Amino acid sequence: MHILINIAAIFFLAMGLIFFLGGAVGIIRMPDFYSRLHPAGKLDTLGIFAMVLGLVIYNLHHFSIEVLLLSIKMFLIVFFVFLASPTATHSIVDAGMRAGLRPWTRKTKKE
Amino acid sequence: MKFIGTVIVCLTGGLLLYGTMDLPDWGDPGSPASTHLSDYYIEHIMEQTQVPNLVTAVLADYRGYDTMFETAVVFCAGLACFLLLRDFRPKKDRYFRHVPTGVMLHFKNPDTRMIADNEFEHMDKDWVPSDMIIKTVCRILIPFIQIYALYVVAHGDFSPGGGFQGGVIFGSSLILMAISYNLKTLVKRVTEKFLSIFAALGVLIYVGLGVGAMVMGGHFLDYGMLAPLLPSDPGHIRALGMLGVEIGVGIAVMAVMVIIYVNIVSEGRHDEGL
Repeated sequence: MHILINIAAIFFLAMGLIFFLGGAVGIIRMPDFYSRLHPAGKLDTLGIFAMVLGLVIYNLHHFSIEVLLLSIKMFLIVFFVFLASPTATHSIVDAGMRAGLRPWTRKTKKE
Repeated sequence: MKFIGTVIVCLTGGLLLYGTMDLPDWGDPGSPASTHLSDYYIEHIMEQTQVPNLVTAVLADYRGYDTMFETAVVFCAGLACFLLLRDFRPKKDRYFRHVPTGVMLHFKNPDTRMIADNEFEHMDKDWVPSDMIIKTVCRILIPFIQIYALYVVAHGDFSPGGGFQGGVIFGSSLILMAISYNLKTLVKRVTEKFLSIFAALGVLIYVGLGVGAMVMGGHFLDYGMLAPLLPSDPGHIRALGMLGVEIGVGIAVMAVMVIIYVNIVSEGRHDEGL
């Protein structure tokens, strides 16, 4: 049983790390403000979800009510990040559009 | 003038850096603090105060004076912000919007009184239509943030947290309301009078617990003397005293955070801003 829990935890942690790595590369490589926000928003949702899921599974090794409560609290973090992070991304994009920042296109770069 | 400023800053910074040379090294076991004080705290805190979080016990009980004056400093910061920035003069330019048609009216004369019913809406110069997504999500999140802030204040004895952190979280939830709606919504619900009273009340709770201990015949901030007032076993009374102090700190910090924010974003007018 323990080995199964370990395998699942490692799987989700590795998945989260892959998403974080991809997001970090994306933030550096993307050409402009809006497209950089795209990987940054992905990081906070799927990356954190996978990482915390891995930690929750690892935490359930010695099952008891307190441990379950701790796991639920950890999942609450994911829930609130899921609410707050896309809203933050949305408001940043909104502010950028209102301030008059034009999205990047290939054509404008050549000029 | 700028040159003189640079010289003064560099000189002060250099003196401070020179002063740090006399400090003991990081984690030096031979330093005066580590030889006597730390051992005493680690060995005796549990039996003396019954507070598992040593940091809270040291800050709120053994060094209670220090934390009390820190709270007073926070209060003075709010007071200074009020005295420097608050502007009671009415604003010259006023903007109104006719709600059914969306026409904007600009009044340059401050004596003009708008004779209107609900069709006119007083508004800011750089008004933007409020975003439904942001408003809805903030409306969902703000109560949870506030509950979490209370949790942090109340749990300062057992886990990381305490009055300063909890107060800042609570204040930031109110600031989030001002950002997601507008400043008028916040000022209407959390008035200036309310904030001023609460900023002073927080410090008063702290000092009042100290004076209460003196009245009961102990030293200032000696929470153990409060035991006859509260239905609790005498061993646990110091933990309760610390909790009361943390609540005072939390109230003061929350109010001062909002006072500073409101005064800065509205340039002291409390009418419109971010």
